[in-house]
Amino acid sequence: MGKPRVAIFDFACCEGCQLQIVNLEEEILDLTGAFDVVEWREAMSEQSDEYDIAIVEGSITRPEDEERVKNIRRRAKILIALGACATIGGINKLKNNFELGEVKEYVYGKDSEKPHLDTAKTKAVGEVVKVDYKVHGCPIDRDEFTYILRCILLGKEPEIPEWPVCVECKAKGNVCVWEYGQVCLGPITRAGCGARCPSSGFRCYGCRGYIDNPNVEAAKEVIEKYNLDIKDLKAKMKLFGSGYEPTKK
Amino acid sequence: MGIKKISKDGFSGLIEGLIAETTVIGVQSKGDKFVYDLLGSSANLRLDYDVTILPPKKYFLQPAEILLRFDGEKYEAEFDDEEFVLVGVHPYDMIAINQIDKLYSEDNFDSHYMRRRENATVIACDVARASENVFASSMGTATVSEGFDILLTDIGDFYVAESATDKGEKLLGKAEGVSTAEDEDLKAREKIQEENKKNLNKHKLGCKPSELPGLLEKAYNHPIWEELGKKCFSCGSCNQVCPTCYCFNVQDEVNWDLKSGTRKRVWDGCLLDGFTKVAGGHEFRKSRADRIKHRIYRKGKYVPEKIGGEIACVGCGRCVGACLTDIANPVKIYNRLIEDIGIGK
Repeated sequence: MGKPRVAIFDFACCEGCQLQIVNLEEEILDLTGAFDVVEWREAMSEQSDEYDIAIVEGSITRPEDEERVKNIRRRAKILIALGACATIGGINKLKNNFELGEVKEYVYGKDSEKPHLDTAKTKAVGEVVKVDYKVHGCPIDRDEFTYILRCILLGKEPEIPEWPVCVECKAKGNVCVWEYGQVCLGPITRAGCGARCPSSGFRCYGCRGYIDNPNVEAAKEVIEKYNLDIKDLKAKMKLFGSGYEPTKK
Repeated sequence: MGIKKISKDGFSGLIEGLIAETTVIGVQSKGDKFVYDLLGSSANLRLDYDVTILPPKKYFLQPAEILLRFDGEKYEAEFDDEEFVLVGVHPYDMIAINQIDKLYSEDNFDSHYMRRRENATVIACDVARASENVFASSMGTATVSEGFDILLTDIGDFYVAESATDKGEKLLGKAEGVSTAEDEDLKAREKIQEENKKNLNKHKLGCKPSELPGLLEKAYNHPIWEELGKKCFSCGSCNQVCPTCYCFNVQDEVNWDLKSGTRKRVWDGCLLDGFTKVAGGHEFRKSRADRIKHRIYRKGKYVPEKIGGEIACVGCGRCVGACLTDIANPVKIYNRLIEDIGIGK
């Protein structure tokens, strides 16, 4: 059997997660040694309609994108969603909190009604097609990305944390940033990043998405304990945690 | 072994000497908190600390460590063989280490943990300042009589220094400023220890620790577990900061050759979703309430039954401070149970 063929595609995103793949530097040789990369717009000019594994970055924001990603899904045996835009819709889902017309006018001004600027509500890749593996984060963690690829080669299920960022944060011996008055989303956000932001004195922004079973009621209680406003929590949850429907006030 | 006293300058000199020749880990400040970290100078050592963010357990059971390396045909265990000195261990943390020593040397002898334990010289010290949430007095862990190589008690210009092992005796032998501990010094030490037995008690347990297993025997179906479950993030913070939690997960990481790699172990915690997940995706403690109950039973009943009755909570109070929703405090839970169902049979 030859090497599995991999194609990397992007939708609505900043392409920063693909850049993280480029940033693998010498490890990229391991990757190209194990896989046959047949399409990757950010790094090469070749294109191909034949591949085994599709890596999809970005969220789905236009009707024609839905068709395109469905077509990719049909061709691929395995589909990997790459980065927050693809796994959870990411920052692009902020759009879903507004009327589409309002958003278009804000962004494109007098040109907003031109047909090529047509848009739709943001969806994560998994809301349009079946996703086999998710590489979480904004941007992705390079080690986690290559770990998942090696798991695929081995036919082994990757172990992605089901628990929140607090686990990794506490293991690092950090002082909880809630104690410094920050509304940190660590307790409800999926770990796997090594608590990178709280370890650098920032709060968790929630870029890896919620854990499978977040306790939002408990989060409300913590807001009360620290005499903060529930609006602060909701505003922060919106950045990476907005849904298909507008976030309730 | 003997009890001596050592001048503070003499002790600083001893630490400087150790720093020059070996790895010294000591308690230091981090903002307005304290941590164990590599010590660069005796001036940074803070034996007047109240409590550290993480217990010293992390030097024996590391948050993540490589157990062995494999190359597809054979494997070889990997050990940490570096000797080190750990300075400033409080009695409650020492007792926690003693408990894990027992658990990790019985049944399956944990060679990785025990190797680090053997490589360590532990200088313990009596508590000079009570932390916000300490309840060691309630748990009978405010003072300690074994496990350390040297135990220091700050009596002003001097430390009373008790060496409990040959290693400790030898270390003290190297120091300057060591003299005989007089009666008054021993009395000063006794006074501090007696006071700690009473005053390290910010949360007062309403029964003797030895009565906890019996209390829990009757509490399995108490509504408190569901009540706490509603407020639990399942973030495992209480596990991560606990000096007696010793659960871990084992994972293999395979290199790009798909043959060689490492087997790692990382801290795990019984509060985490997925902790009880087994083959086939079955999970036998799926609800938050069940996991909280398990933590309390583990500390107050299951482990005590394994190690001869000692309660596996040493009253350091770290979980109380680490829990964002204020539900981790074991004393609050035990006292509620005592109130509702009583400690008698």
